[in-house]
Amino acid sequence: MSKDLNMKVNVLPVTTYNFLHVNDGRLEIKDIELKNKAISSKKEVPSGVTLKENISFEEAGEAFRANKDRILSLKEEMVSPNCETAKRDEAQSIRTGMGADVDALLLENGGTCDVYTVDENAKVSEPIVLRQDLEDGFTGIAGQVIHAKKGSEVTVILAYNSERSASGFWGVSTRLLAEEDATINLVKVQLLGDGYVHFDDIGGACLKGGKINLTVLELGGKEVFNGAYVNLSEKESSFYSNLGYLSRDDHSLDMNYVADQRGKKTDASMQFKGVLMGTAKKTLRGTLDFKTGSSGSVGDEQEDALLLSEDVINRTMPVILCQEEDVEGRHGATIGQLGEDLLFYMQTRGIDEEEAKRIMIKARLESVARLIPDEEIKQLVIYYVQQIV
Amino acid sequence: MSDNKQIVADIDHSLYDFKDIENEKDFYRMEEGLTEETVLKVSEEKNDPDWMRDFRLECLKLYNEIKMPNWGPSIEGLDMDKISSYVRHKSDMKGKWEDVPEDIKNTFEKLGIPQAERESLAGVGAQYDSELVYHNVKDEVAAQGVIYTDLESALRSEYADMIKSHFMKLVPPTDHKFAALHGAVWSGGSFVYVPKNVKVEIPLQSYFRLNAAGAGQFEHTLIIVDEGADLHFIEGCSAPKYNVANLHAGCVELYVGKNARLRYSTIENWSKNMYNLNTKRALVEENGIMEWVSGSFGSHTSYLYPMTILKGDNSKMEFTGITFAGKGQNLDTGAKVVHQGERTSSVINTKSISKDGGIGTYRSSVTIQSTAKKAKASISCDSLMLDSISRADTIPGMDIRTSDADVGHEAKIGRISDEAIFYLMSRGISEEDAKAMIVSGFANPVSKELPLEYAVEMNNLIKLEMSGNG
Repeated sequence: MSKDLNMKVNVLPVTTYNFLHVNDGRLEIKDIELKNKAISSKKEVPSGVTLKENISFEEAGEAFRANKDRILSLKEEMVSPNCETAKRDEAQSIRTGMGADVDALLLENGGTCDVYTVDENAKVSEPIVLRQDLEDGFTGIAGQVIHAKKGSEVTVILAYNSERSASGFWGVSTRLLAEEDATINLVKVQLLGDGYVHFDDIGGACLKGGKINLTVLELGGKEVFNGAYVNLSEKESSFYSNLGYLSRDDHSLDMNYVADQRGKKTDASMQFKGVLMGTAKKTLRGTLDFKTGSSGSVGDEQEDALLLSEDVINRTMPVILCQEEDVEGRHGATIGQLGEDLLFYMQTRGIDEEEAKRIMIKARLESVARLIPDEEIKQLVIYYVQQIV
Repeated sequence: MSDNKQIVADIDHSLYDFKDIENEKDFYRMEEGLTEETVLKVSEEKNDPDWMRDFRLECLKLYNEIKMPNWGPSIEGLDMDKISSYVRHKSDMKGKWEDVPEDIKNTFEKLGIPQAERESLAGVGAQYDSELVYHNVKDEVAAQGVIYTDLESALRSEYADMIKSHFMKLVPPTDHKFAALHGAVWSGGSFVYVPKNVKVEIPLQSYFRLNAAGAGQFEHTLIIVDEGADLHFIEGCSAPKYNVANLHAGCVELYVGKNARLRYSTIENWSKNMYNLNTKRALVEENGIMEWVSGSFGSHTSYLYPMTILKGDNSKMEFTGITFAGKGQNLDTGAKVVHQGERTSSVINTKSISKDGGIGTYRSSVTIQSTAKKAKASISCDSLMLDSISRADTIPGMDIRTSDADVGHEAKIGRISDEAIFYLMSRGISEEDAKAMIVSGFANPVSKELPLEYAVEMNNLIKLEMSGNG
């Protein structure tokens, strides 16, 4: 049965001036019928990993509910920042970047999850590659939970691809739990067609010494939403993310990244590198949230946005929230076109402006692509970027 | 070392916290609440021209229609039904200190305003509750053609048309609920006009004192700096502390002409029952320069984001601000800038200190419109946390609509480093003094932009805080 989608997503953790239009994103589609689609690997899951397929979205969130007290523990009562928006996502089993409306979408449409559980102390060296080639006109949703038990390590790569001319809708929810000293490396690569509406929603939690390393490339799609919310709940946990994006023509990209730092000596680093062309529109919200008890924690958020057209719209909302004395939070942004010095240098080497731009686009995106631990997917990305530029 | 918590006392407002009794014989106080009747009464008191009376009523309508802001600190404690929008002494405004009523004169003497006028100012305006009680400008400045007077007098002078064409044009009453409120009940404030190519060498100052309990102050400052002219305007604010809410919803509109320069400095030290919902905005023409220096120390709750519209090509803006949020304070401050002209540039530098449960929020917006080719914007905001029961939040926004712009942004949040304290202590400086030195150093980029007298006062205030219980 088809229905209309009208979702409020990527809500900024604190509301600000309405005229900036950054407080949230809107995902609106008329008359759409969603199919539930599991993304499967061509290979068997490696040893040390158990896969349970087609688990209901609700049931798949059980590991988070079971650890809720640890995930959301606070040393002392908090003083809320002005106009906090946390309440609307309270019902989620684990808070995600895009928020409660994505959970509701999956629940209402019978969305299921594939649950990957990594055994205690299992170090899975071979990445789990989940590749989805989508057809023109496909409209569907998928979900995964990756639960890395104590001392384990796993790498999961999700790659979505379609013909350049294809249209459709593809929404993915991925929830992550890294227990004590466990590491989850998650890679997401999106190379969808120019008519695709796409969302990728990530929520995660790290217990003591747990690590979530996220690499994301959002290169295709007409209207793209991406969000990640990671709770660094316990001591010495960390969240490192590297996101590369390319938005061109009349495409739009709306992002919301949050590191919720609760444990002592937690470490968050969020790096965004991207290129805007044509009449593309991009909104990036990035928040470091140092909660009470996060003493000794550090957070760093850097954005490098290359604007290659007169008509792009680039909105950036870098937020630092802090209720802890002993922390170091930092944000930096460089937004603009290619520097005159760089262009001059290139020209002295016989490289004209257009070629210089091509080189810089490739350099930015390939620096993120190099982090993909799978040669085939990496080459797919490099080829895709080459085709575009 | 890391366990040695910094203990910093609350800001000592005793200097400002004296209350002068306002009796019925000498003071007129309008009943609390906001109705068409009260707005008409204010208008009648002011002897408004017809257009202003109609404008006030239109603003009241807007005030009733516009919703409360859905962002920023809570203003639930503010009940307009308990606020009197107009309180004035029954005497007229004076041009000599000797003629100012004794009770009011005492207040300003205690605040050191007449002394400052004698020593370092070109002109002074002093507002007590809703009305200007004193206005004077030095003869040599007046001789240059500089107009510095209360806005009401200006409305009935040869400048009436100039005021009509500028009043609430930069901050329209539709801007937000409290701009509409201001439009409805504004009273007092100053009008400054600096003619073409006139450089006013020493600053002008307005001092605002809200002495009445449960009252609002809604002064309007309109400054027009004509082509090639230069002015430094200083604004100071204070009030005694009451346990009922007071409201300040002033409005400042600044017009900076071609090749002109305006520096607008504010030291705000309202008492901690004050809701400071002030709106300040500047429009800068070609090659013009707007400089803001802003120190926010007082108020219970503040929404304060001076905005600059860089309309003319090559126009520039610099904002330097410090906010000190202590116990019971929720100070939401920052700056807004809109780049419209080509090669416009803006620099925002802010420092925020949070202590003893205070909430300090830096909030800003930088908008670069598609017409602002080769615009440059640089934003730097640093926050210093002095304990873990306070908050320091940084919420900056950027909206960039041309590739031909260069925007850099840096934000840092942290505490006083143990290494720095250790280094200073190893040089024989006590821990308290070391911390005070570091905080003063942190605030230095702001204090160095202030006139000496104000910088000294600000540094003394910081030192006092740091040594309090250290």
